[in-house]
Amino acid sequence: MRRVFLAGVVVMALLLSGPSLAAQGLPPKPVRLTMAVVAGGETKGLKAILPMWEKEMGVKVELVEFPYPTLYEKLVTAFQANAATYDLLIADDPWMPKFGAEGWLTPLDTEFGYKRDPDIFPVVYDLGTWPPPRGPVPPTEKGKARHLYAITLVGNVEFFMYRKDLVSAPRTWNDVIANAKKVHDPNKPLYGFVIRGAKGNPVISEFTPVLLSFGARIFDDNWKVILNSKEAVAALRFFTKDLKQYAPPGVANYDAAERAREVATGRAAQGFIWPAEITDIVENPSVSKVVGKMGYALAPAGSGGKRGPLIGNWLLAVPKASKNKRWAYEFILWATSAKVQKPYALGGGIPFRRSILTDSELNTKFAFFTAMAASLAAPAEWRPRTQEWFAVEAILGTHVNAALAGIETPENAIAKAAAEIEKHMREAGYYK
Amino acid sequence: MTAAARIRRLTPYLLVGPPILLLFALVAYPMLYNIVLSLRNYRTGEFVGLHNFARVFDDAIFLSSIKATLTYIVLAVGIELVAGLGLALFIHRKVPSGLVRSLLYLLMILPMVTPPVAAGVIARLMYTPNYGIINLALRGAGLIDRDIEWLSTAPTAMFSVLSVDIWQWMPFVFLVAFAGLQAVPQDIVEAAKSDGAGGWHLFRYIEFPYLQSLLLLVLVFRVTDTFRVFDHVLVLTGGGPGSATEFLSVYLYRVAFKFFDLSYAAAISFYILAAASVVFTLLQRWLVTEAVM
Repeated sequence: MRRVFLAGVVVMALLLSGPSLAAQGLPPKPVRLTMAVVAGGETKGLKAILPMWEKEMGVKVELVEFPYPTLYEKLVTAFQANAATYDLLIADDPWMPKFGAEGWLTPLDTEFGYKRDPDIFPVVYDLGTWPPPRGPVPPTEKGKARHLYAITLVGNVEFFMYRKDLVSAPRTWNDVIANAKKVHDPNKPLYGFVIRGAKGNPVISEFTPVLLSFGARIFDDNWKVILNSKEAVAALRFFTKDLKQYAPPGVANYDAAERAREVATGRAAQGFIWPAEITDIVENPSVSKVVGKMGYALAPAGSGGKRGPLIGNWLLAVPKASKNKRWAYEFILWATSAKVQKPYALGGGIPFRRSILTDSELNTKFAFFTAMAASLAAPAEWRPRTQEWFAVEAILGTHVNAALAGIETPENAIAKAAAEIEKHMREAGYYK
Repeated sequence: MTAAARIRRLTPYLLVGPPILLLFALVAYPMLYNIVLSLRNYRTGEFVGLHNFARVFDDAIFLSSIKATLTYIVLAVGIELVAGLGLALFIHRKVPSGLVRSLLYLLMILPMVTPPVAAGVIARLMYTPNYGIINLALRGAGLIDRDIEWLSTAPTAMFSVLSVDIWQWMPFVFLVAFAGLQAVPQDIVEAAKSDGAGGWHLFRYIEFPYLQSLLLLVLVFRVTDTFRVFDHVLVLTGGGPGSATEFLSVYLYRVAFKFFDLSYAAAISFYILAAASVVFTLLQRWLVTEAVM
């Protein structure tokens, strides 16, 4: 009698846990999934969809939030200790080379049989794949089997914004200068172009699309530094002279907050932008004077017609040490599905699926989605896929910032940066 | 040997053992690890001898960061000492009211308990062109007609990071010097005054000897602190523009946590340790000599 009762309890429990899940052969539900995330606007959409997941699947997801630099350090520490601290994580895409090379993540293709979805831009899969499927591969990674380790959740990509009530959509850098000239009046004040020029990552995020659109590159396909070129010098001269003359004073120390503030207060007419700054500040009626006045477009093209929108996705991945890998994977599938991406976008998230970014209903509410879709399809450019990127960015970011502040000439800044990057790459074992 | 005697014999070891183990774990082990790290290539684990130590001589940013650090230490500590001491003398001589003095203590403690990161964030807002309070005030007073780009040119960026340090730590010098002045026997001061000693002579020959060892101690503390200045600089300028405010501590952070070149960072840290040891040995000797005298 007791056995019959126990069997009944087991059957009931299985039924309650959902017949579909039982059929999929999922392991028992964990008490919770712990997820390391960045603190800030990037997780707004995620927070909006979590109650849906918990209701649908009956598994709690606990978010552990860290500021941007701390998140990286916490993840690396947990990985190095092989600790099962996190079941899921959200990682900035330039972290992928380090995480991929160290083998800290679970491959989603071989481990779970992930199937590619045509609704997802190819660049998204390229970002989450290691070793990189295109471009140069770091010497230590050559010959390694290629796997998909992560899928985008936050479809961040850098594109262009302009005051559509004052100027027309710029297609080229010449159009940007013409627009700036038309509206620039420091006495109002209204500045023609705002630059996020602070040393390091900020100025490099801003300068890279200019550099690429002028036809310059940092490395060739064998990691040889080819930065010291006339195209790169021309790009930096354009950035630090032609664009800067229309910028507010002090932009050599401007970060994203200062840039968004200049635009939102109606003091700047053009500039680059990342999606989170739009939803948080520029199109937020409680802090912005320019709601509905901004137009969004693909990054302007250089004289050769090349554009360089910069990608900066946040990716979902499962650490190798996680004890709940399968459920973590289920969460990734669920959160990135077309069904969930719509409420995710409506909840303030930055989506990445083609069908969502081109959805007419969403485009009425989020005018920048079309520019995002165009940028992702371009395809958006990524930072060179090397574990040394942070060093390269720090070196180049110091000299570009020095040129912007007038401490170094564009020629000197490019020459010094190229020499220092080459020295660093040599120390890192990229050249024999 | 009886059990009691055995326990008695072991007791000193049991008492001393844990702190020694703790000291080894927290000081000796990291130091040894750092030595090993500095002699290897962190990425490959290969032994490279003194290569990492030699790299600094070909590293323009390291050399410029030494210059920036020395400039910062000399200016910050110098201004804090002179201003803190001057203010302490002024209050000691000219403000007898207990209430005013108590209010001043309170005001002086506030900057010291402000986290350097918060001080940096506030200063960043204050120094921002266009809407920063400093430019607004200068424009309002008719002193400037166009905004000063405080954080975007080399000399003004250095001034800006210095100003936060001085705002935060000049009160420390003031409080120590003021406390020291209270210990100067009033009968000696009165006797000197009746012998015709003026303000400067009173300070030089009566008050300063009482303050000397305290000021040296303050000097040691402040040099140590300014040597490892980091938080507010990172928030305020990030070491920029260019490398203008890239002090040794900021550069070391960049090499270790941006370049992930931990071996080179370990070698740099030994140079910093050596330089700091020389400075502190000299200061300590001076302090001991003055205390004996």
